[in-house]
Amino acid sequence: MGARILCVAEKPSIAKAVANHLGGSVPARNVPGLAWLKNYEFEYSFDPPWGRCNVVMTSVAGHLIKTEFDSRYRSWNSCNPAELFDAGLTKFVEGDNKAIAKNIETQARYCSKLFIWTDCDREGEYIGAEIRDVARKIKPGIEVMRAKFSNIERAHIIQAARRPIPLDEKQANAVAARIELDLRTGSSFTRLQTQSLKPIIDHVQDVGIISYGSCQFPTLGFVVDRYFRVKNFKPETFWSIKVMHKKDGVNVNFHWQRVHLFDRMVVVVLYERCLQTKTAKVTKMQRKPTSKWKPLPLTTVELQKMGSRFLRMDSQRVMKVAEELYQKGWISYPRTETDQFDRGMDLKAIIQRQTQDGTWGPFAQGLLSGSFNQPRSGRNNDQAHPPIHPVNYVTRDRLNDDEKRVYEFVVRRFLACCSEDAKGESTTVEVDYGGEDFHATGLIVLQRNYLDVYPYDKWESSQQLPPFTVGETFLPTEAKVTEGKTTPPGYLTEPELIALMDANGIGTDATMAEHIAKIKERAYVMTRPRGSGGATMDGVTDGDDEALGRGTRGGRGGRGRGRGGRGGATLGVRGRTTGVEELIPTTLGVALMEGYNTIGFETSLSKPFLRKEMELKLKAICAGTATKNDVVQESLEQYRAVFARTNQQMGMLKAAVRRYVLGENG
Amino acid sequence: MSTDELRTAITTHLQSKSLYPSPTWLTTFLSTARPSTPLPALQQTALFRLLTSDLTTTLSPPPAALFPANIHDATIASRRLDSHVVPVQVLDVEDLSRSRWAQVEALEAAERGETTKGREVVRVVPGEEGLSGEENAGAGKGQHKVLLQDAKGTQVYGFELGAVEGIGVGMNIGAKLVLREVLVARGLVLLEPGTVTVLGGKIEGLQREWKEGRKRALMQAVGIEDAS
Repeated sequence: MGARILCVAEKPSIAKAVANHLGGSVPARNVPGLAWLKNYEFEYSFDPPWGRCNVVMTSVAGHLIKTEFDSRYRSWNSCNPAELFDAGLTKFVEGDNKAIAKNIETQARYCSKLFIWTDCDREGEYIGAEIRDVARKIKPGIEVMRAKFSNIERAHIIQAARRPIPLDEKQANAVAARIELDLRTGSSFTRLQTQSLKPIIDHVQDVGIISYGSCQFPTLGFVVDRYFRVKNFKPETFWSIKVMHKKDGVNVNFHWQRVHLFDRMVVVVLYERCLQTKTAKVTKMQRKPTSKWKPLPLTTVELQKMGSRFLRMDSQRVMKVAEELYQKGWISYPRTETDQFDRGMDLKAIIQRQTQDGTWGPFAQGLLSGSFNQPRSGRNNDQAHPPIHPVNYVTRDRLNDDEKRVYEFVVRRFLACCSEDAKGESTTVEVDYGGEDFHATGLIVLQRNYLDVYPYDKWESSQQLPPFTVGETFLPTEAKVTEGKTTPPGYLTEPELIALMDANGIGTDATMAEHIAKIKERAYVMTRPRGSGGATMDGVTDGDDEALGRGTRGGRGGRGRGRGGRGGATLGVRGRTTGVEELIPTTLGVALMEGYNTIGFETSLSKPFLRKEMELKLKAICAGTATKNDVVQESLEQYRAVFARTNQQMGMLKAAVRRYVLGENG
Repeated sequence: MSTDELRTAITTHLQSKSLYPSPTWLTTFLSTARPSTPLPALQQTALFRLLTSDLTTTLSPPPAALFPANIHDATIASRRLDSHVVPVQVLDVEDLSRSRWAQVEALEAAERGETTKGREVVRVVPGEEGLSGEENAGAGKGQHKVLLQDAKGTQVYGFELGAVEGIGVGMNIGAKLVLREVLVARGLVLLEPGTVTVLGGKIEGLQREWKEGRKRALMQAVGIEDAS
């Protein structure tokens, strides 16, 4: 019999799944001290040079080691918060982790190899390094490798067991840098804010602590920015020219090339020129094939956005459900930036497993019978995980409600990716009327293709346009000036916020949901379903067109009759999706952002710039172009400067809190 | 070259640009010109000076280079100013395609040193070209209303019927245009590339004032009185 090998996964469920894939039905052995912690012992034949080994499979539960300030800095009033930028740090194991670490130590003593099965991302790499450090303290010479896997489907796990790779120290270092920076900046600013601001509002609001986080704040900043845009918004009137022509029994609506102008006099002059010309002349008639592209392979950010848009779950909930589905082996690892499938991946095998489903099974079967198309490739590849896709088939009765919805979405998205773009034909008619250009478009959907399995996209045939020929002239049935008003943007929704965080480098796809949850938990923002009270602002109509040429105005423009159809004129784009929650800052949230903005825009903590820079530096560590030490020092210098300025100008923050939370002086 | 010849040569050059300098202005200009300067350079200098001057004080144009007296007559639905070639200066420019409030928001973002690139908030590094993104956004789309002034001081609004290169909120106030037999509808001059030549230039004081006051003017236009 060969060597003894210790395998450690990131979570108990993964340990159990991997043990069962590698060792058959392996009985779980209790570990002293923790009821849920199990070891699985079995024999397994690895590829050479390891060969047949005795395996002990166990797990940690996320991070094993805690990084904290030396004990003398730990209590709130132990030091000036500024000292936390240089205070000494200690690492230790606490709580349940003591039993976990003890288990690893005990097992490592008898093992010559440590095989790490943490999730394959930065955080997992760091946890792997923690496990390694614990094991090496007992057994310095232990050989350490890690498994590379992105789902816990049997064949995939067996592949991973055959091809161990080294731990990536650089990624672990990037996480170490992030942990240190978050701890130092988070604690120093949190203590400073809490000590200075809490006493002011204690009598009206029990806030516990007034926390700061380098991702939390820019996230809150986006919410507050939008809040002010909504609040400060001034509606304005705009005017447009609408032309309608009835031909072959069809009312064809022509849209003005200029869309609308914010000047009535100019629009009326242009309108009069149209009327003087009398006839409109067709300048272009074009029919061309068009298609609606199938979606890109699914990434975490996209899953979160779609979750709040279509699955009635906030991003954190979606991620939690996806994580459970992954741990049970139904879907692949849900934390990925990759939106391209590897060419070598056997997508048809995955489709095959879905053919048994009563709802989308026939569609999956159709793909296998010839309509399969290679998915589109996006531009991102994190080199760690494939796009999120279903792994095994599971009948709906084995899932709870939320799981059902997320699983269904993942499957439908995947099948859509493997299908064909929807095909249609678009028709465009352009006319010149009094020197102004107008156009009408029509769409016929010819082949729905992926849309049949992906109800989250909408693409429908419009009214058919009657034929027009270039050079043809006609007297429009109706031409009129219409009036509309701009509408304020809506409060920020979660999918919009995620998109902003993504574009601005705030958090990683894996942590965005946590940051959003955090600012809710801290009572910096509140949520409410979009469309619930208060959303309509005074004097704002919804782009409802009012025909100018009617009634009293008489005379000129008399050709306009009745009200025009709605639509087209709304300026502020409002997502009309149901069940989306909007985020509204609390007075405290507003006060903090405004306070920091007054202190200095350049490096305001409400802005994404500092954090974005830090994120780039962490990437540089992963790429090997920067060291952990340099990055930590550089970033700390930047935050230290902001801290000094904040401390010095605390009066501004206090004034903002008094103004917004207490409602003093305006 | 005699002074008279010089005078004629410069006048000819300026008139080729449809500008009719007043005799006083010409005299002043010639008195500051060094005789050794080659003629083409002198002609260039004269043009440059005129373009950066206030036309109401530097030109003495014939009637065909001025707006007709009834230019504002709103009862005239449409007419072409036949045989009129009118040099004008721009006193104000507005982008009619965007709400004034959206323009205020863009100006404020620029004041904070930010602009947006899609969803990304981008910090604008001082000194970089094109400080405010909105100057690009509105430019060249041909939806501008301009306040025009001829050499007699008559002010008329013009609308960019077809996109004219050089007209936009990024243009200088006091920039000179030449309007060649333009269309006028109900007292509104319709600007098109075929009838408008942008000579450029500016009036320094007006430009500064306009730029500094633009946000306030936009805010007042949407009903914010206290636009400090």
